[in-house]
Amino acid sequence: MASPAYFAAGNFAAVARNSVELLLIGLGITLLLAMGGIDVTVGVVLGLAAIGVGNLLLIGANPWLAAAAGPVIGLVLGLLTGAVVVFGRIPAIVATIGLLGVYRTAIFVVLGGSWLSGLPPTLGAVFGARLFDAVPVSLIVIAAAYATAFLALRRTPFGLHLLAIGDNEERARLAGVPVRRVRLAGYAISGALCGVAAIFYVTTYRNVEMTVGSTLALDAIAAVVLGGTSIVGGRASLLGTALGVLLIRILQNGFTIVGMPSLWQPVVTGALLLGSLLLERGFAERFGVLQKSSP
Amino acid sequence: MTTTNRKLILLCVLFVALVAGFGLDNPRFLTLNMARTVLQFSTLLALVSLGQALVVLSGGAGIDLSVGGAVSLSAVATMLAVQSGAPTFLIPAMAAASGLLLGLFNGLIVVRYRILPLIGTLGGYFIYAGAAMALTNGSSITGAPSWLTPLGRGAYAGIPLHFLCLVLPVFAITAAMLTFTSWGRWIYALGFNERSARLVGIPVDRVRLFIYTGSGGLAGLAALVSIAWFGSARPNIGVNLELESLAAALLGGVAISGGVGGVLGVLLAVVMIVTLQTGLQFINTPTIYQVGIVGLLLILSLLLDLLPRHWRAR
Repeated sequence: MASPAYFAAGNFAAVARNSVELLLIGLGITLLLAMGGIDVTVGVVLGLAAIGVGNLLLIGANPWLAAAAGPVIGLVLGLLTGAVVVFGRIPAIVATIGLLGVYRTAIFVVLGGSWLSGLPPTLGAVFGARLFDAVPVSLIVIAAAYATAFLALRRTPFGLHLLAIGDNEERARLAGVPVRRVRLAGYAISGALCGVAAIFYVTTYRNVEMTVGSTLALDAIAAVVLGGTSIVGGRASLLGTALGVLLIRILQNGFTIVGMPSLWQPVVTGALLLGSLLLERGFAERFGVLQKSSP
Repeated sequence: MTTTNRKLILLCVLFVALVAGFGLDNPRFLTLNMARTVLQFSTLLALVSLGQALVVLSGGAGIDLSVGGAVSLSAVATMLAVQSGAPTFLIPAMAAASGLLLGLFNGLIVVRYRILPLIGTLGGYFIYAGAAMALTNGSSITGAPSWLTPLGRGAYAGIPLHFLCLVLPVFAITAAMLTFTSWGRWIYALGFNERSARLVGIPVDRVRLFIYTGSGGLAGLAALVSIAWFGSARPNIGVNLELESLAAALLGGVAISGGVGGVLGVLLAVVMIVTLQTGLQFINTPTIYQVGIVGLLLILSLLLDLLPRHWRAR
């Protein structure tokens, strides 16, 4: 080990703390990739939702109302993204790259070019609290979200439809799956999860800067792919996503401790993303595992 | 009328409307000087958009999200080499070679390892753009020789030299290749129906590897122009180029599913986009608005494809 500080309990706390938003966003990306979609706007959607929550706190609104604004804004933006992708019949990556530009401009417009800072610590009493002085509220919310998604994917028509679309959209359509409705719902859920993540973001940092969430989309996609969810759809691994998120945050934490400048982080994450895909492909070729190949 | 032609006409109308609009707002916009400024700023986007257009044209869910990162990293790598003692006369070769290498890497990821282009080049984008920033700590690397400056800032008959000597020839050669050579027709065949292309014996993988490598090479040329222009390598020179080049390629009439489109429209779309950006800057709009407007243009250009289908359904 390069540094004994790595073992300090404080570091594990930091990793856990830094993983909260990514765990929620990664869950949404897992659902999207599993149905053959993708969304690179997740980071800025978190940003816009955080700005909404923060502004409501600043004008002294009821903290519950302020917190609720996060998922609502996320849901609306997710629905908008979904509508452009589904009804505009635009490949998700192209549509969300375009929307990324639009949302970034929107962040500039609502922030007016400065930071949103000095937010009151109102939300901390609930969302920063620990149940029975031990279990953080964020962990409870994350566990509930993952459990719901797990049950939905395995026990509900919606989940099965989502996986069926990812496996083969045309066949799903022919089998009577309401493809458009399910895809729209997928983007809406992902957006809402970004909004929930925004609540915890505001609770922790109590400010929102212009470049908020700029690498969250890459981190989330890398974590989900590392976790074994198929990038061409049809397969989702929720536990894998959670482990992927922790791995990425632990690595980033470790690199910070050994003194690597944070500018290298996207390089490491990008290499991790490509490396895991290459490994997977290599294994598939070596051992002849049957796999759906990219179109 | 094909969708492509309809888009070209729409593009021309948009362009005239833009120029007229900015001109009415301030007649100083309608000067030759302004035209030269637009062309000066068009070169980088034009070179990169050509690569993007070819990648999209060749189908297979083709997309190159790494173009901007490739421009930044090519520029940075070239000037880092110069800083550590490489002879300056090698700058053009080194910039082109680093671009080609990065493109080859993308191509291998996509063709050899069959990884979805959007994920493969997204990973590439973060590696390239991140490395360009990290290697330089975000600051420019100076030290370009003065003999390179004319390429970046010179003009002949009011047309910037790099536009005249790089953009026009490269577009002309590509247009000729697409129309008159078998490799050119193969690119359309790949995008139109990859399975049939394979069955009739077109070397699909080799053509696609060539295209991704070429897209990287064009990014390298863009890096060279940026070095010649600014006299230094800027690690953030490629920011937003993936969005702008996609918008240019799709506005220019290239079908997102591949197989349809040409490069003349792409060049027109580039000039249109840069005119819009220059005009916005001219009327003192914050630069961040450009990102949103180009993003909107990208989405609108694709929504446009829906219209004919919609009308036909009725």
